[in-house]
Amino acid sequence: MIAQLMILVAKAWQKGPSQVLPPSCRYQPSCSAYAITAIQRYGAARGGWMALKRIGRCHPWGGQGYDPVP
Amino acid sequence: MNDSKNLILAVVLSALVLLGWTWAANKYFPSNPPTTKVVNGKQVPVPEPQAQPVPTTPKALQSREQVLASTPRVQIRTPSLAGSINLKGAQIDDLQLLRQKETIAKDSPPVQLLAPLGTPGAYIAQFGWAAQGTAAPDLNTVWTADSQTLTPGHPVTLSTQTPDGVRYQTKISVDDDYLFTVQQSANNGSDKPVVVRPIGLVSRATKSPDPDSWTNQVGPIGVFDGKANYDVNWKDLDEGRTEAFNNVPGWLGFTDKYWLTALAPQGTMTGEFRRNTTGAYQADYALAPASLAPGQTLTSKASFFAGAKEKPLLNRYEQAGIPKFSYAIDWGWFHWFMIPIFDLLLFLFHTLGNFGVAIICLTLIVRGIMFPIAQKQFQSMAAMRKLQPKMKAIQERYKEDKARQQQEILKLYQAEKINPAAGCLPILLQIPVFYALYKVLLVSVEMRHQPFVLWIKDLSARDPLTPVNLFGLLHFAPPAILAIGVLPIFVGATQWMSMKLNPQPMDPAQAQVFAIMPWFLVFIMAPFAAGLQLYWITNNLLTIAQQWFLYRKYGLHLSDTHPVHT
Repeated sequence: MIAQLMILVAKAWQKGPSQVLPPSCRYQPSCSAYAITAIQRYGAARGGWMALKRIGRCHPWGGQGYDPVP
Repeated sequence: MNDSKNLILAVVLSALVLLGWTWAANKYFPSNPPTTKVVNGKQVPVPEPQAQPVPTTPKALQSREQVLASTPRVQIRTPSLAGSINLKGAQIDDLQLLRQKETIAKDSPPVQLLAPLGTPGAYIAQFGWAAQGTAAPDLNTVWTADSQTLTPGHPVTLSTQTPDGVRYQTKISVDDDYLFTVQQSANNGSDKPVVVRPIGLVSRATKSPDPDSWTNQVGPIGVFDGKANYDVNWKDLDEGRTEAFNNVPGWLGFTDKYWLTALAPQGTMTGEFRRNTTGAYQADYALAPASLAPGQTLTSKASFFAGAKEKPLLNRYEQAGIPKFSYAIDWGWFHWFMIPIFDLLLFLFHTLGNFGVAIICLTLIVRGIMFPIAQKQFQSMAAMRKLQPKMKAIQERYKEDKARQQQEILKLYQAEKINPAAGCLPILLQIPVFYALYKVLLVSVEMRHQPFVLWIKDLSARDPLTPVNLFGLLHFAPPAILAIGVLPIFVGATQWMSMKLNPQPMDPAQAQVFAIMPWFLVFIMAPFAAGLQLYWITNNLLTIAQQWFLYRKYGLHLSDTHPVHT
């Protein structure tokens, strides 16, 4: 239930704000896609935490490149 | 064919969104209506919307002056308040906030917060007693006062006595700002035991004229047992519900967007919100009943706040002992985040003297903190120029496979440890900052009626100047959706310019969205307070200046930021 809600938020982000913001992805897949996969695979708590950590890395001093959900 | 179908669909959808937005914005993000309008090139103040008159008593409505003249009164005179206490019923029912004006006109009367029963927009506070075994004073009891005027440092004591000898006394004092202290005592001068219980109430005949919204509570408000309660709404009381809070310490009352009345008795109380039999909204408390043997006295104390929700004042009263009084401002979930931003804004306002300049300065500070992110991006872009040949090679090689091309470029970035993208964290961090600004501008009475420059006389209201009626030369008031102010148009124009200076999207569909976005934004921003629009314009101008500066510093050209052309 919570997992579905979180996935919905990520999808809404992709369809909405992400469309009008300058392209900013440093990683592949994008943080939102990463979040969706992580939550589907590991559930709301662990997947959500992984997604948060990924977003935490997604800044100019963070990493980049191909970084799939483990 | 398909294209034009899509275009029509896009236009229809946009129109729907815009129409829906105006409706939704007014419902969910209400801003103040314009306080000025432009008539023949002159700006004139708009009268405040008055609450609908609803009789609270069966009597016909009278004017305030008539009621004031026909009842015995003690005058209230402080630097912040003017009004009177009605000795009939021991009510504080006439109170003006001298530091706040009704409209922005120079000769505007001050805001009338409390008004006597029987007048339009009646709003009163009363302190009294419930009693068993003897009579309790009621709305018709005429009390005697020991002084004609209540001023800071000179309290007034009201007293009355029942036929069987119970003496009631209410000592009212007031400070320089918005706080009354009410000390009530009952002395059993009769020859039998009595049971008494101190009560206090605020009652308003009508709802607040300010809209209630999910971002800001307007209506019943209180703190019970250390927890702020913004959950009781006018609607709950309209439906006949009584919301009770038993045996808790705290305070309760009613809040408008900027004004508050709050009762804060000492000790634990039984607090209630309800609509009483006359249809008025009422917040009341009762303290624990006490049995008085002949000769015994019961004393209780309560604070009564009636004034503007100025944050420094609320903090001071909280420190003086009213639990969580600063929560009279509904900051929402991000309380901890709003407070420093608010304090900084207020500090800038007091230092610089103009609220608009303070907003600009705050934006400068926020952007200053963000600057290293942009700088880092440009360093990356400068480094990327050296990779142009490699980049071209990749583009050539995977001409047919866009996804693969994308992948290879990312691999190259990784190998060279550069990346022109800033990542999503900086964007996500900006969202709470923007929301905090919106919220701070929404709740701060400090911004009310604060001018900026030129035609902006009130930053807390919509921009009153609109090209739709040729800046007021044509005598008609355009409907809300069309009344696009000058500031929101500037928002769109600066947004367009700043987006031109950013990396462009590679996907053509997204490029289209980008092209419409700034003009969409004009409509999105139009219903908001001028202060928020000012923030957005400043933000855009700073983006433009920053990009211009960084292009020069790193010797880059606009085309360098568009590395991948498809």
